[in-house]
Amino acid sequence: MTQVTKRNATKFLKDEYDELVKNHFEWNIKILESGSTPHAIVNGKEIIMMCSNNYLNLSNHPRLIKGAVEAAQKFGAGSGSVRAIAGTMKLHTEVEKRLARFKRTESALIYQTGFAANSGLIPQLVGEGDIVISDELNHGSIIDGVRLTKADRAIYKHRDVADLEKVLKDADRKYRRILIITDGVFSMDGDIAPMDKIVKVANEYGAMTYVDDAHGEGVIGPDGRGIGAHFHIEGKIDVEMGTFSKAFGVVGGLIAGSQDLVNFAYNKSRTWLLSGSHPPAVAGAQLAAIDVLETEPQHVKRLWENTKYFKKELNTLGFDTGESETPITPVIVGDSGKAKELSNRLFTEGVFALPIVFPMVARDRARIRTMMNAGLSKQDLDFALHAFEKLGKQLAII
Amino acid sequence: MMNQLIFKGLFDKKSTEKTRCCGAMVTRIGFLINPIAGMGGRVGLKGTDGVLDRAKALGAVPIATQRAAAMLREFLSLSAHTPPVQWVTCAGDMGAAALDSVGITDTEVVYSPQEDTTTAQDTRDACTVLVQQHLDLLVFCGGDGTTRDIVSVVGTSIPLLGIPAGVKMHSGVFGITTAATAKILFEFLRNSLTIGDVEVMDVDEDLYRAGEWKVRLYGIAKGIIEPTYIQVGKASFESVSDDEVKDELAEHINDELGRYPDWLFLFGSGGTLDYIARKLNLDHTLLGIDAVYQKKLVAQDVNEQQLLSLVKRYPRVKLLLSPIGAQGFILGRGNLQLSPAVITKIGLENIIIVATPSKIQHTPMLRVDTGDPQLDHQFATQGYFMVVIGYRLSRVVKIQTNSF
Repeated sequence: MTQVTKRNATKFLKDEYDELVKNHFEWNIKILESGSTPHAIVNGKEIIMMCSNNYLNLSNHPRLIKGAVEAAQKFGAGSGSVRAIAGTMKLHTEVEKRLARFKRTESALIYQTGFAANSGLIPQLVGEGDIVISDELNHGSIIDGVRLTKADRAIYKHRDVADLEKVLKDADRKYRRILIITDGVFSMDGDIAPMDKIVKVANEYGAMTYVDDAHGEGVIGPDGRGIGAHFHIEGKIDVEMGTFSKAFGVVGGLIAGSQDLVNFAYNKSRTWLLSGSHPPAVAGAQLAAIDVLETEPQHVKRLWENTKYFKKELNTLGFDTGESETPITPVIVGDSGKAKELSNRLFTEGVFALPIVFPMVARDRARIRTMMNAGLSKQDLDFALHAFEKLGKQLAII
Repeated sequence: MMNQLIFKGLFDKKSTEKTRCCGAMVTRIGFLINPIAGMGGRVGLKGTDGVLDRAKALGAVPIATQRAAAMLREFLSLSAHTPPVQWVTCAGDMGAAALDSVGITDTEVVYSPQEDTTTAQDTRDACTVLVQQHLDLLVFCGGDGTTRDIVSVVGTSIPLLGIPAGVKMHSGVFGITTAATAKILFEFLRNSLTIGDVEVMDVDEDLYRAGEWKVRLYGIAKGIIEPTYIQVGKASFESVSDDEVKDELAEHINDELGRYPDWLFLFGSGGTLDYIARKLNLDHTLLGIDAVYQKKLVAQDVNEQQLLSLVKRYPRVKLLLSPIGAQGFILGRGNLQLSPAVITKIGLENIIIVATPSKIQHTPMLRVDTGDPQLDHQFATQGYFMVVIGYRLSRVVKIQTNSF
């Protein structure tokens, strides 16, 4: 008997993509033809890179490259398994020990990515009868992690500890566990969560604290040791989560905290248990990145010198750079269309920076988000500033 | 480009599709002014309907045309990049004059009043004509009385946007100011706002004649609302429809009903709770208060006395409320059955507030005016509610009592 085809099983793939293209919503991926260097070749054009997360330019550091090459030569290209079965190499545990020392916590654990850390660990920390209290501007990977829990969720106003305390007061009576979760450095505005105050109020109510320090790791605090060090509360945040893919210049997620946390996390996080472990080259480079941060303070220093200079000059030109306290410097444009236009023109001028538009930010607060790199020279910054000045005047922003 | 902005599942595709004319997308906007709106307010009257002569004698002057023209000027200063608009209006003071005064002359005039001095009947007659004009939106200038006249004819067939010019503006169709109204119109034309339910409210005329000034909920109209966005990728967002958000709220409330099987749940009035109740297969009264026990309706459209006897019979009661109207009232406007005695018996801790995120964005305060200073003080002391804005999702919203 012949079967009549009832439906076209995959027609939606093309239909939905075509719809995105029609509305200009598809990703037009730009291709890096060089490394992720301060001067990079993107789509055949040399540009000054102002939208990578490679804050310290460590991805190009000779010691990291050497660490990767030597680890690959010694231990091979892949790890052969998930961490839990046969994929934990001595190299991985070495990175974890060194990371705990760097973060001044009792212990640490490496995940495959930052996303895997958030989406794997958060749903294990809370469940039915618990509540997650989250800053309204938290990053998408936190939101996804929270969606996977059966816990209730409450949102507090951005960086507003008084608002957070109201939620805590309400939650105190009703729930078993309370988890407060926040970005450390917020990636849209470059502002910092008041972690010292959050920890204080959390302790009063017996709530856990979890910070996603992806943009703070390697950037804020003495020697770039992150948000715990920034507020001198090392070891007091229950979960310090971060990533090796930004300032550390490699890839991989991390958590730092107590030994109890680490024991719990690797036994319960499905993302950790069910993904292959990092190849030796990744672990070798991670180890070298920690080495560099511990022994070469000039990179963090340089990042901040560049940041201060760039912000000051932008302000002198008359640009609004928002509330940023970090190397993420937004250049507020206002209208979304104008922000996109400025980004396009900057690229033509040789500066690569991303527009951030509604609804990621308020309708009248569309901006270009610049991310500083320690490898940029003063001359590079002046070049970028000149482009901003010229185009800012053309588009009547300044 | 790298930024993705995906608008999927906009509330009601049919009602947001623009009219196609001569190959180009032209938005057809109805424009209607109630020329006498607001005149009573300036001279201390609580409305203008039926008291126009008295208002004039007291020195009232027309303000609606000026307000409408101010909104249009604001709009024109913003609208350089919006798609073309065809204005469909009424003659003279009922629309064309204001449009003309800001240089919009290419209008379709579809209604002319018989007399110089217009009445509520003119508003209704004009709407009878306007409703047949395939409009994408009806912009009007007036107050709560004007809104009711319009809704009595157009119902939910056309979304409304009110330029505030009346004595009372409790209905959810109004922009806060003329400038805010212009901005809403501008964003609507750029397709970044959507259509949703808004409450139509006005003074309770029966009570008013008896000397009391209380606001009642009259019904639901379509208005322009802020869409709710969810992040679907690193830099991409989807706007979810108002109905989808309310579906989530309904699921949450369904769980609550299950979690507290021996509690009586009172469903308050308004569009959001009406939607939720219907989703839960309860035969709910849009304008009234209903009682639900073990997921079954036990009393419908109850008055204060019935409420008092219900809360006596059922010792444990939870009260579901949602902010209604333009100002976000949860108590004191549109639900007078919930008297201070009823609220006190239920207890503040047993009030559950639900609202769509777009509603909270529009009215970031919960307003309370129970008429009992002591009870209002209790709300003021509590200071805030955890408002349910999604499935198992809540946020802090401040309470403002009647000291405004």
